[in-house]
Amino acid sequence: METLTNNFKSIEEFQVISDVFSQAITGELIGMSNFASLSGTIEDPFEKMEAIEHANGERQHAEGFMAYAKKTGLNININLNGSYWGRIRDVFLSYANKNDFIACLMIQEVMLEAFAVSMYTDVGRVLEDEAQKLFLSIAEEEKEHMDHSTEILRSELKKNPDDFIRKIEIIHYECMTILSEFSARTDLSGHCGVCHGDCMKNSLHHIGLDVVTMRGNALALYAEALDNIGIPGEKSVLWIANLPA
Amino acid sequence: MDSKSTSLDFAIIGHQESWQSITSFINGIRNASIEPLPVDKIKDVFGFMPPRDLFKITLKSKTGNEVNGVFIETFIDPDKLSARYLKTNISKVKKAISLASKLNAKLATLGGFTSIVLEGSRNEFKDISIKLTTGNTLTAGFILKGIEHACVQYDIRLEESNVLIIGATGDIGLACTHYLKQKVSTLLLNARNQRRLETLATSLRNEGVNVFCDTNLESLVPKADIIIAVASSKDILIGNTKNNVIICDAGYPKNLENRLLKKEDIILFHGGMGIINYGYTFSPNYKPFFYNYPVDNVAHGCVLEAVILAFEKKYENYSVGKGNITPEAISNIYQWALKHGVELAPFYNSKGLCKLFNTKV
Repeated sequence: METLTNNFKSIEEFQVISDVFSQAITGELIGMSNFASLSGTIEDPFEKMEAIEHANGERQHAEGFMAYAKKTGLNININLNGSYWGRIRDVFLSYANKNDFIACLMIQEVMLEAFAVSMYTDVGRVLEDEAQKLFLSIAEEEKEHMDHSTEILRSELKKNPDDFIRKIEIIHYECMTILSEFSARTDLSGHCGVCHGDCMKNSLHHIGLDVVTMRGNALALYAEALDNIGIPGEKSVLWIANLPA
Repeated sequence: MDSKSTSLDFAIIGHQESWQSITSFINGIRNASIEPLPVDKIKDVFGFMPPRDLFKITLKSKTGNEVNGVFIETFIDPDKLSARYLKTNISKVKKAISLASKLNAKLATLGGFTSIVLEGSRNEFKDISIKLTTGNTLTAGFILKGIEHACVQYDIRLEESNVLIIGATGDIGLACTHYLKQKVSTLLLNARNQRRLETLATSLRNEGVNVFCDTNLESLVPKADIIIAVASSKDILIGNTKNNVIICDAGYPKNLENRLLKKEDIILFHGGMGIINYGYTFSPNYKPFFYNYPVDNVAHGCVLEAVILAFEKKYENYSVGKGNITPEAISNIYQWALKHGVELAPFYNSKGLCKLFNTKV
């Protein structure tokens, strides 16, 4: 409690920040595992090394969050098999097992990173000092991953636009349905297995956030990412409108 | 993909006026096997979306020519059209303009509220190749031709009428003012900004125009034979009107009917609208979601301005800035519209077609 008193304004703030860090660490570890799996789908040795480097980057992000959590006495719960993170990992692995590099790239570097970049930015803006720097700097690094993948995906789209769009549509519904259920005002598929007690979404106001804005910003960044790849707006609006809410 | 590689004749940058049409659209494009979303869940996401192209539009001219365009939705929240959200909304409009440029549209019209961007400084758009227009000239044209037609049908002499313009200092209001100033008995001008209103009135008086102006509608409405409303009607209340006053509701959204304190002995129609007679198709066909007019092939004047300019191959900044619309420009674009089979829309209001008006046309 001494640490709590020193670093947090209230027990509610402590709890919600603990849950925010728990989600971030879990997400980074999922990202690390995904990049490690992704490396197995790549033929090009340089791209392969880059995937491992990215996996290491995600590990470092997780370590950065964990170090801050330890220093401030946050109550961290890591669960890679929770109902949402576990399903996301399963979808990713289903494509990694087929050596489908493009699908893996789409899931990890567009869908998951869009949510990570947007939500880290929102969190970074309301937290203070070291926590703020941590979230904003990691958001910036994750954004680089998005930019890198956009170039690859854009050139893939040019090869065969119709097939590419059909493929991305399938992946969208597999992965974004989970993220959409996860980020809805109430968890649409039950408790995430990461937050302590009730869902932290009801407590975000204690740190000046709200789930509607965070979800809206994340979906907006995802939509922009699809635009940047070259997915026509008339397609992406259809895909997003068909997500659970 | 084709849309990004092929040049488009025009882009329409727009926004929705109500959650009703947005809900209809979102649930209309959702798969039939999943539950429709309630409006509150749609509100949770809609306003966050970046501008995007929703559907392609093809129009055919009386001359046989065809033009192709695209509708870009800005995703401006219909509850956030006030000045308080100006910065966010302007940012969305700018992104929509960039998208129109990226889609290789030769010309973009800024429909409804989005035209505010072009009524200010255009310096930030000087480096983009796309031509821009507010569409306000043809909108003003349809408003004014509507008034002239209504006068003929109701045997009202425009030159003996007192015409009230609500929103007189806005771009369309100014266009109507300058077009009508030598054609009516008295101009009654209303706007929110007193200084601008008085400056306008003084300038008109110096030209010998009979003008009254007031920021308060109450003093002007009882004198008006004809009312043109081009301002947002959210804060407007109209009472104490003359019997058989003709009201042209040309604001965004067109909901003046809800702002009338007296509803009988009033002839109200939605103005600024045109009808396309030779072909108007959407792909995908989202007309059932976006389109809620009582007759087919009706569109806003601002939309049709881009279409007419494209038919004429006049890819230029036709309506830009504020107060620059001349009666000549109105007359020109209206004549071009007629040439291509685009005419004044039949008179209608929220209850449907105004039978009396249209049987006399």
